[in-house]
Amino acid sequence: MDFRFTQDQQDLIDGAKEFFLGENTVERMRKIASGETVDNLWPQFAKLGFLGLMAPESAGGLEQPLVVMAGVAEAAGYAGLSEPYLEIAGISVPHADEDELSGQIRRAMRSDLRPYFDASLSDDGDAVNSIDPLRNLVKADRGNDDSLDNINHHGAVLTAAQLVGLAHRMVDMSVDYAKDRHQFGKPIGSFQAIKHQLANVLTQIEFTRPMVHLAAIQGGRAVHTAKVAAIDTAMLAAETAIQVHGGMGYTFEVDLHLFMKRAWALCGEWGDRNYHMKKLEETVLHGQEPLGAGTTFS
Amino acid sequence: MDIAFTQAHHDFRAEIREWLERHVPKDRLPSLDTAEGFKLHRQWEGVLAKDKWGNVNWPEEYGGRGLDLTHWLIFEEEYYRADAPLRVSQNGIFLLAPTIMEYGTPEQKARFLPPMASGEEIWAQAWSEPGAGSDMAAIRTKAVRDGDHYVINGQKTWSSRAVFADWCFALVRTEEGSERHKGLSKILLPLDSPGLTRRPIAQLDGETGFAELFFDDVRVPAENLLGPEHGGWGVAMATAGFERGLLLRSPARFQEAAARLVRLYRDNKDRLSSGVGEQVLQAWMNAERFCAATYQLIARVQAGASVNSEASANKIFWSEMDRHLHRTAMTIMGAKAELESGLDAIDNGRWLDGYMFSLAGPIYAGTNEIQRNILAERVLGLPRK
Repeated sequence: MDFRFTQDQQDLIDGAKEFFLGENTVERMRKIASGETVDNLWPQFAKLGFLGLMAPESAGGLEQPLVVMAGVAEAAGYAGLSEPYLEIAGISVPHADEDELSGQIRRAMRSDLRPYFDASLSDDGDAVNSIDPLRNLVKADRGNDDSLDNINHHGAVLTAAQLVGLAHRMVDMSVDYAKDRHQFGKPIGSFQAIKHQLANVLTQIEFTRPMVHLAAIQGGRAVHTAKVAAIDTAMLAAETAIQVHGGMGYTFEVDLHLFMKRAWALCGEWGDRNYHMKKLEETVLHGQEPLGAGTTFS
Repeated sequence: MDIAFTQAHHDFRAEIREWLERHVPKDRLPSLDTAEGFKLHRQWEGVLAKDKWGNVNWPEEYGGRGLDLTHWLIFEEEYYRADAPLRVSQNGIFLLAPTIMEYGTPEQKARFLPPMASGEEIWAQAWSEPGAGSDMAAIRTKAVRDGDHYVINGQKTWSSRAVFADWCFALVRTEEGSERHKGLSKILLPLDSPGLTRRPIAQLDGETGFAELFFDDVRVPAENLLGPEHGGWGVAMATAGFERGLLLRSPARFQEAAARLVRLYRDNKDRLSSGVGEQVLQAWMNAERFCAATYQLIARVQAGASVNSEASANKIFWSEMDRHLHRTAMTIMGAKAELESGLDAIDNGRWLDGYMFSLAGPIYAGTNEIQRNILAERVLGLPRK
């Protein structure tokens, strides 16, 4: 029992975060949003080993468990990465067969819980228009059913992890803004009305992240709890962040909206709040599973 | 990352489960905030201590089993699962003991820890004052050095269990002319010291849960100073970290309450409006999240990390979770929610008791407003002014 990342795992996650933030700058995000061509990150994903993070060692991968991928997904969320990197490295690769692994996987795993996905991952499907200017989506053919199989488990966990990262980023942006913006002759971040709202978001983040890690390792009802908690945390973060930013937060010019819209989008992906709450109603309110102390870790 | 219990963990769980089945009183004890209830809870501490179950994570020489905090979490899970009595010694074992282990002299450890473990000496906290609540650095109670004694004058309040307890750990101003966080010291003293008057304060539920303490030339041997003289703020903050962060509120307590809430929901669901199930699930999810976060925090502590400002997030989370959970129960019970005991009272008024107690959570151990300030300033780095 040691519910922490090992030092090696943490180093890997920190390295990914540094890479994502270094490459996927806000300037780059704005270029993508305005339709400009940007550097292709995929060769670097492959070269640095991020693509094979979960692939078996026999196929040249790092064979890391899903929980490490969740750490990387949180970093991707924080950086606002728009490439469907997690779809490939965290969902398609771990579910690919040997032949596929030897080639270049560019295929999304399909699921009833994922009605829209990145256009680059499919040859078919009708285009849909997301409010997130960095998401280029098509409507997918339905795939597997909505049970919490491996594919949906990976999808829900990695989406929840991204939401945690996005929430964290929006808090950080708000803190920077609140230190800088002065009213009544003081930084607005010195007012308790601002401090307490941001402390509330921080508290929710701290009590969502470990749940996401548990969901990655354990699956089952922990996944539903993690996704619901991540949705609620990210929405609280987004609404708090725009409030702290005041009128500036309502503009296209300030960067907040890039992260806020991603959060809105990811809330509904790989099982929306209704889906996960209904699953919890079945298992917790009306099911036979043991509840209470000593049933979470076993 | 590894979340598997070892065989030793499983064996430990089986052992404590079996012991609790044989020893936990069949009927719930009367409230520990009554004279009779206090006596019975003290006896129960003795039963726990006799078989070394009271403080499994303490060193063996002080009555513990020298086990790590994962074992302590397992103990707590089984303890709440068995619905065993509340810990009347909680201020001592969870708040003071870790501080004595960190700051105490060998003599203080040997003197104070064994009787604390056995329930022979029950401890109360004497920090807050009428003029020093959230602003604890405004403490005015003075201790003046007189030879090999301190002489204490002043007033403390909200001292939980001080009416019936034996000793208290006080935070007082030892340095003449000092201000705010400087010049404070932590001093241990018997509650029956000459010159010390205890005035019971009735709580919301009518019971004398806490007391005001009046100090009138109370003489305390200088050897009862805990930690550095005039360095009491740092010592107190270490206690506060434990209180807010970790030991005082283990997840098991809330997970058992959440499981009882689910059962209450099932028993009443035909008459409930559609949103209640969502609230029940929210309470259950909160308890799960608290559990996951606590296991992660314990892993970090066992690897040598200390619990600092982030303990404030812990305190906000558990106290607001507890209030929400009990309010949801009150909603479910409807007209029966007001029944304290007797005919038609659900679970003999236990939810009502729990709801009242939950209202204190966001206040004691540092109000949640103070915790939010700490998070905003020390974790997020927002400006103080």
